[in-house]
Amino acid sequence: MRMTKLMIFLTNLSARSLLISTVMLMVGCSQAVTKTDPDGYPKAAPKDYMVIVNRPNRVNLIDLTTNQIVRSCQLPGTAAPGTVVMSPDNRIAYILADHFSNVYGVNIDNCELVFSAFQSYANIRIRSLASIAISPDGKSLYTHQNPVRLLSDHFEVMDTRIAVYNTADGLKAQPVKTYPAPRQVTIMATDKNGTLYLGAPDIYAMNPNTGETRLAIKSRGLETPHFSQRDSLTVWPIGSVSNEFIRMYTTARYQDETQDIDKAKWLWGYERIDLTTGEAESREFGPLEVVLFTGMTRPGDKNQMYAVLTQLKKYDVSRQQELMSVDLEHTYYCLNFSTDGSKIYLAGTFNDIAIYDADTLQKLGNIQLTGGDMSMSTPQIFAREI
Amino acid sequence: MRKHLLISLFHGVVLTLLSSFAFSIQAGSPEQIIRNNCVGCHIPESDDKLSRISYQRRTPEGWEMTIARMQLMHHVRISDQEIPISDEIIQKLVKYFADRQGLAPSESANYRYILERRLNVVEQHPDAEFAVMCARCHSGARVALQRRTEQEWRHLVHFHLGQFPTSEYSAGGRDRNWFEVALNNTVPYLAKHYPLKTQAWTEWQKVKKPQLEGSWRLIGNQPGKGDFQGVMTAIETEKDNYKLSVSGYYANGDSLTGEGSAIVYTGYEWRSTLTLDTQVFNQVMAANGHGDEMSGRMFLRDHEETGIQLSATKMDGKSRVLGVMPNHIKAGTEQTLRLVGTALAGDIVLAKGLMITDTVSRDSENILLKVKAAKDLAVGNTDIKVGNSRLMNGLVVYDQVSHLEVEPSYAVARVGDNGGATRKTLASFQAVGYSAGVDGKPGTEDDLRIGYLPAQWSVRAFNAQAEKDQDVHFAGKMNKNTGIFTPAAAGPNPKRKYSTNNAGNLAVIATVQQGDKSVTGTGQLLVTVQRWNNPPIR
Repeated sequence: MRMTKLMIFLTNLSARSLLISTVMLMVGCSQAVTKTDPDGYPKAAPKDYMVIVNRPNRVNLIDLTTNQIVRSCQLPGTAAPGTVVMSPDNRIAYILADHFSNVYGVNIDNCELVFSAFQSYANIRIRSLASIAISPDGKSLYTHQNPVRLLSDHFEVMDTRIAVYNTADGLKAQPVKTYPAPRQVTIMATDKNGTLYLGAPDIYAMNPNTGETRLAIKSRGLETPHFSQRDSLTVWPIGSVSNEFIRMYTTARYQDETQDIDKAKWLWGYERIDLTTGEAESREFGPLEVVLFTGMTRPGDKNQMYAVLTQLKKYDVSRQQELMSVDLEHTYYCLNFSTDGSKIYLAGTFNDIAIYDADTLQKLGNIQLTGGDMSMSTPQIFAREI
Repeated sequence: MRKHLLISLFHGVVLTLLSSFAFSIQAGSPEQIIRNNCVGCHIPESDDKLSRISYQRRTPEGWEMTIARMQLMHHVRISDQEIPISDEIIQKLVKYFADRQGLAPSESANYRYILERRLNVVEQHPDAEFAVMCARCHSGARVALQRRTEQEWRHLVHFHLGQFPTSEYSAGGRDRNWFEVALNNTVPYLAKHYPLKTQAWTEWQKVKKPQLEGSWRLIGNQPGKGDFQGVMTAIETEKDNYKLSVSGYYANGDSLTGEGSAIVYTGYEWRSTLTLDTQVFNQVMAANGHGDEMSGRMFLRDHEETGIQLSATKMDGKSRVLGVMPNHIKAGTEQTLRLVGTALAGDIVLAKGLMITDTVSRDSENILLKVKAAKDLAVGNTDIKVGNSRLMNGLVVYDQVSHLEVEPSYAVARVGDNGGATRKTLASFQAVGYSAGVDGKPGTEDDLRIGYLPAQWSVRAFNAQAEKDQDVHFAGKMNKNTGIFTPAAAGPNPKRKYSTNNAGNLAVIATVQQGDKSVTGTGQLLVTVQRWNNPPIR
């Protein structure tokens, strides 16, 4: 019953929020003028950059000070889904591509392909639903694998698992270890101690050295009489600038034990792991009035929650109130912050990135990519010395 | 490229190739085609069985989709040395499988709507878990039109998740351990309700199948155009293959004439392709056990949503009154009525109070009458008799239209064209008039369905959100005379909020004038985005 109503709600909304598809060409894009040090890397004061993928197969490094594309590298495969995680030194972008199947590591300073993992093998076809992560030392790459054995006249769905790759293995890397893992995993992230978090029906924490897994946040399995079952779906592993693993959920708060869904109040909430302390929390942060795809807390102030789809919204978490909301020119799937938390970058869907002031939600500008849309790529933002 | 291939693969193989009569090909046998193309992956078993294939039954469209999937997903290049045209090879395979492993008439009876492309039918599933496990992505009919062993249903679950990994992530899938539920609950449910072996199928296989050659009296109704009647002649060219000619007319005098061909699958599944005037139509009908009636739908090949709900009656010399056009007359008025039938002969007898003032014309298939209904005539259904043939409740006498219902009450139109790969999907509505009956109160049990009435049509915003978003302005245009809604062009619209598509949520209003008063009825129309994948069975 709950799902039926929510599905109708979402269907009606999503029909309105389909994307701009007109192609705009980037003008004035130029290579940033930089000096290089002897090891070939740019040398300058640290500033913010974004890495994002767009169609058909581009990995873009964007200077967020000038809002110019510094470099646009070609992926050897196709862009989708374009899930990106950055190496700890922010030099290698690991990208899930080729229809959720292969991972490429691209050195964003020179476009060199330094890593690849073709997950499928023999008659085993593997897909990963936006579920990749990197260890804090950058030595291990993790993927959550959905394998299926393709036999001559039938398929056999296999158990899901975490695959561990050594990034040093370079091209055509093979997993060095696999561990059993829950099904229905999307996003993943590691904390500073190396614990791997899996966004599944519940959120799990895995020790990637042993495969030992514990429950970190109960979500779908939560039984609270005054709330409906939570629903969560995200395919954007954002949160690094806020040092968090975060995903939003929807739930209905019933008025009483009769659990009358028609009188219930619909709410947005988040499930969050602090990637420094490992502290886990989940809470409602505001009313559910429109569909939102991604949300993050503001760097430096986790009481400020922002989320996006057709609108960019700001919430006061502790008061569970929406503070501000602005209509957007078109849908944006994924938001991220500048490292100081002052600006919001909206990406995904089309080939322009919108920039907003995090305090006022005033629009500051756009960055236009050459080529097609970003689809469901993850914009990763970081500060680097250049 | 892939999309074009998909369209091509689904382009009416089950229906027939218009050009097929131009060829005289000594085709390879289906057994030979199967041996050359299927064995290798499908393992021969005892009793001439093949793994997977021998443990399923389907409709012709179901087999067509299976073969198309083998080509699309498993890259099978179906070929035969003796048949140069791949569509003909596939047609041969579909015929072979549908005849041997089809569905009995009683097994497909409740799900004809999906075969007939009646896409606005809102399914009601008795089992809530079936609805969410199966029918949230496609129709429940698509499942209910298959029969499999339990092992085959299990294979299907593995195929679903293996081919579409998002099945367990999408809404309605991620709220449960989808794979576990599918294997442990859904498979046994399907094996119980849709098993391979049934009494119905065993009996149907023994039945002598009807001969469908001959002339057929067609009668039907097309939203936006009105009543339709005609004659279709079928000449059998080889077993279960027919050459067709159709001569038909709408009530407004427009003709629909041309030729085509038909194939009969499973002994009763009539599929044809016809070029009538300048348009290509497909027929999907089911023959009855006697072979003297068929019913189904005839629709435009390129706009499946537009078509005629059709019945065909064998012109076998037996006198029958099949229908009256229109099927209603208002008390106190004079009206021209067309009696449609076969071998019509003898005196015409109408109910008391209905006076024939003129017989405009008559032959053995059509009788055109001017009829006057007495002012104080009782409201209700009346019989019509021509000679010894009687049509029960064929003509409705009414006094006032008390209320209208819009059919369908809920419809979906889809934006399209505008340079994209998908055509617009139109929505067509009809106004059904009701008389309040003896108690004079509309909405009670004695309400009398009058029939389809000419109406004036309009749309308005369905709710406040639709008003705010100017859906009426953006979503498309309603033809005020026909009730046919043409959605707007596909693609984001920069003039709309969020640059959204020309989607809309509209109330559809039918208005019939009753003297000084207007009677209105309301339906709902959702104008939404394209369906990219449009197989024969949605």
